[in-house]
Amino acid sequence: MATPVIMPRQGQTVESCVITKWYKKKGDTVKVGDLLFSYETDKAAFDEEAKAEGTLLEIFFDEGDDVPVLATVCVIGEEGEDISEFMPGGKKVPTTQGGVVEGEQQSGADNEKKEKIKGGTVTQEDGRIKISPRARNLAEKVGVDYREATPTGPNGRIIERDIRQLIEDDKLVTPAAREAYLKAEEVHISGTGIGGRVTTADVERMKEDKSREMVQPRIQERVAEAEYEEVKLSNIRKVIARTMHQSLANTAQLTIHTSFDATEILAFRNKVKEQGGRLGLENITLNDIILYVVSRTLLNHKVLNAHFLEDKMLIFKHVHLGVAVDTERGLMVPTIYNADGKSLNQISREVKELVEACRKGSINPDYLKGGTFTVTNLGTLGVEAFTPILNPPQTGILGVNTIVQRVKEVDGKIVTYPAMGLSLTFDHRAVDGAPAARFLQELKTNLENFDIFLAK
Amino acid sequence: MVYDLIVIGGGPAGYLGAERAGQAGLKTLLIEERFLGGVCLNEGCIPSKALLHSAKICDYAKFGEKYGVTAKDVVLDHGMVIARKNKVVKTLVAGIKSQLKASHVEVVEGRAYIVDRSHDGYTVKVNNESFVGKRLLIATGSVPIMPPIPGIEKGLEKGYVLTNREILDIPQVPDSLVIVGGGIIGLEMASYFNSAGSKVTIIEMLDHIGGSIDREISQILLKNYQKKGIEFKLNSKVVEIHDGAVVYECDGKREAVEADKVLMSVGRRPTVEGIGLESIGVEIERGAIKTDDKGKTNRPEVYAAGDVNGRYMLAHTAYREAEVCVNNMLGKKDIVRYHAIPSVIYTNPEVAFVGETEETAREKGIDFEVAKVSMRYSGRYVAENEGGDGICKVLIDRKYRNIIGVHMIGNYSSEIIYGAGLMIEAEMRIKDIKELVFPHPTVSEVIRECIFQFED
Repeated sequence: MATPVIMPRQGQTVESCVITKWYKKKGDTVKVGDLLFSYETDKAAFDEEAKAEGTLLEIFFDEGDDVPVLATVCVIGEEGEDISEFMPGGKKVPTTQGGVVEGEQQSGADNEKKEKIKGGTVTQEDGRIKISPRARNLAEKVGVDYREATPTGPNGRIIERDIRQLIEDDKLVTPAAREAYLKAEEVHISGTGIGGRVTTADVERMKEDKSREMVQPRIQERVAEAEYEEVKLSNIRKVIARTMHQSLANTAQLTIHTSFDATEILAFRNKVKEQGGRLGLENITLNDIILYVVSRTLLNHKVLNAHFLEDKMLIFKHVHLGVAVDTERGLMVPTIYNADGKSLNQISREVKELVEACRKGSINPDYLKGGTFTVTNLGTLGVEAFTPILNPPQTGILGVNTIVQRVKEVDGKIVTYPAMGLSLTFDHRAVDGAPAARFLQELKTNLENFDIFLAK
Repeated sequence: MVYDLIVIGGGPAGYLGAERAGQAGLKTLLIEERFLGGVCLNEGCIPSKALLHSAKICDYAKFGEKYGVTAKDVVLDHGMVIARKNKVVKTLVAGIKSQLKASHVEVVEGRAYIVDRSHDGYTVKVNNESFVGKRLLIATGSVPIMPPIPGIEKGLEKGYVLTNREILDIPQVPDSLVIVGGGIIGLEMASYFNSAGSKVTIIEMLDHIGGSIDREISQILLKNYQKKGIEFKLNSKVVEIHDGAVVYECDGKREAVEADKVLMSVGRRPTVEGIGLESIGVEIERGAIKTDDKGKTNRPEVYAAGDVNGRYMLAHTAYREAEVCVNNMLGKKDIVRYHAIPSVIYTNPEVAFVGETEETAREKGIDFEVAKVSMRYSGRYVAENEGGDGICKVLIDRKYRNIIGVHMIGNYSSEIIYGAGLMIEAEMRIKDIKELVFPHPTVSEVIRECIFQFED
């Protein structure tokens, strides 16, 4: 009997994954454990192995397709077997053209099926766009191109308010022009119809312009040929780009800087290095120490351990600390849940595990959300001061800088000391300058007196 | 003092433009040489409609027996009709005056002459007084074309040749009236004077009446008029006018028709002379001010709207053009979409149309389909039009399946056609319109009936 291979669900919040590579072709023989395909969520990548053996009878999605979780991706079985029952809600056969029309031509009686086909093909047709059914319905009803929406829903998903924003921005298309417009690659086209709607004439004009452009680049191509390499943006890079831009565009960010005398934490770290092994301690780093102190200090400054949601704020009782991690794929921010209740050693261990999972690409996406405050460290790369960008809806992010030698006067003598920089960015809509400075001040005191703080 | 805007001409484009500008806070001056309201209100749309309504009442009374109503001694008192017409015009002109006042527009009576452009703006002279405006809206309208026909000038002097201006004020109904030109003005006046008791003859150079209207509808209208006793000389050219007769050429033969009065209605030409356009170098093309679809001329901040741009010569087009001009002055992006401007002939039966005719669509190379139904599909039409032979015709674009033209002959068409204009402008497809509800019983239902002749 034929066995369907479904797109696994990776974490509760993941709704679809993009197939990045196929290792088998339709008709190939497959053994248990053979690599079938690779796929990725917004932030992590996975491989799917065959759990049944036989022939790969049908493949329903191509590389680059965004496949809803639990949808049938392919079918393994014996040659000649009937696979019609597995024809997915995803799509019929992998022809990429005219998906929506296909759906609409279904008989009205078969409503459920129609819905499925429609949903699946839209995802397919639009590549990697995530959009809620409600938002899509609205977009289709009023005639807006949701590819132009700025997603503000969870995990970069387009939700109803994003469509409403498009309507407000007059990004409308007339019914007659809609289909041709959606098929067109170029989306930034200004309409000349009622209320700025894109009309059939605009679409025609766009096509003409396009064919004119086609001629031109050929001339320039030779000059530009060796000068750059075009690299398609990865999903994660797109998500980072969108989130960072939205962060700056939609919040009121302000960064304040200070530094503290790191003598004490350096001494502590040396002690751990020398004797930690004997006590069963992790290799506790300066960053771990800062995470630990931040998770405690934040409890006295809860407006910074919060989410700002336009008309309200969520002030959290516990600190779920986001830790910025540099990976080959791009920036990831896993969360140490309830960091304020964990020991320094626990924090140190958990960070190491999370960093490892991020770098391998095997991080559970559920760990990539839920943070209430973030710490990002560029000090290891020698940075002396920077302005971290908020991870909305969080209200604060702390940047950790490198150690520089500074001088101070002690008993009339000039002495040097190791100064470590801290850069706190906060959302001025939620937090004023003085409360933010007080947090930084207390953080500085706690770090400079780490031995005593640890005893608390 | 420098005005933000000087409007030259107080017709539909001028007064509406001035009102909109005033409402938007622009310091506005309106200059009108003769009467506020322009041709439309004083010598065109409104007075002719007042006359036609009287004619309609007269016809209903005279021919009521078809509906079981007989009336004796029905008399159309032309003097009273003209008096009532004057009252209507007076009321509406007063309305415009108060609207302009409410919009804080200053009004100056006199002939405007543009003198030059200085650092402050454009200088306009009226009655030897100078006004300066940062912007100009030229809305000087149009005048009737007087072809060089021997006898025409003498006729105008002596009063047996009339234009649309004089005919609306003639004290007595002429026994015989010859109308030169079978366009909208000619047909409407023919309708009135026929009902009022004149023997009406229309001499038209083309082989059809109604100018650019749908040929089939033109034929139906012709038959309706002939039934009423109006005579038509098509393919005929007037070569001489005498007191008492009009000489014309048809198929190379000279013939004459008796005429107590002659109405010249062969068309109108834009008023571009004697207003100083040359002193600021406004570009004139084929006798009209050249404008783009924003109403801009080639001079900065000089706009033109209404008949003077030589495009459509319809009051409602003038309204829209004026609004577009003012919007662009205010920095709002707006254009006139000329493809969806409805036209109406207030004959009995009424003719109304919008968008492409079969002829124009063919000329433009549009791939289209046509559906046509009899007005008798409408219950209301049958109930109210004994023996009526009206039709409704709809053209759609075969590719996008949206409406591109609607043509109707039958009473109420004038009030229905805006809906068709909306469908064209919004680029609604056949399947969208099939979802609309039309009130029953109304004449408008014929559009719906037509739509259902097409496949989605």
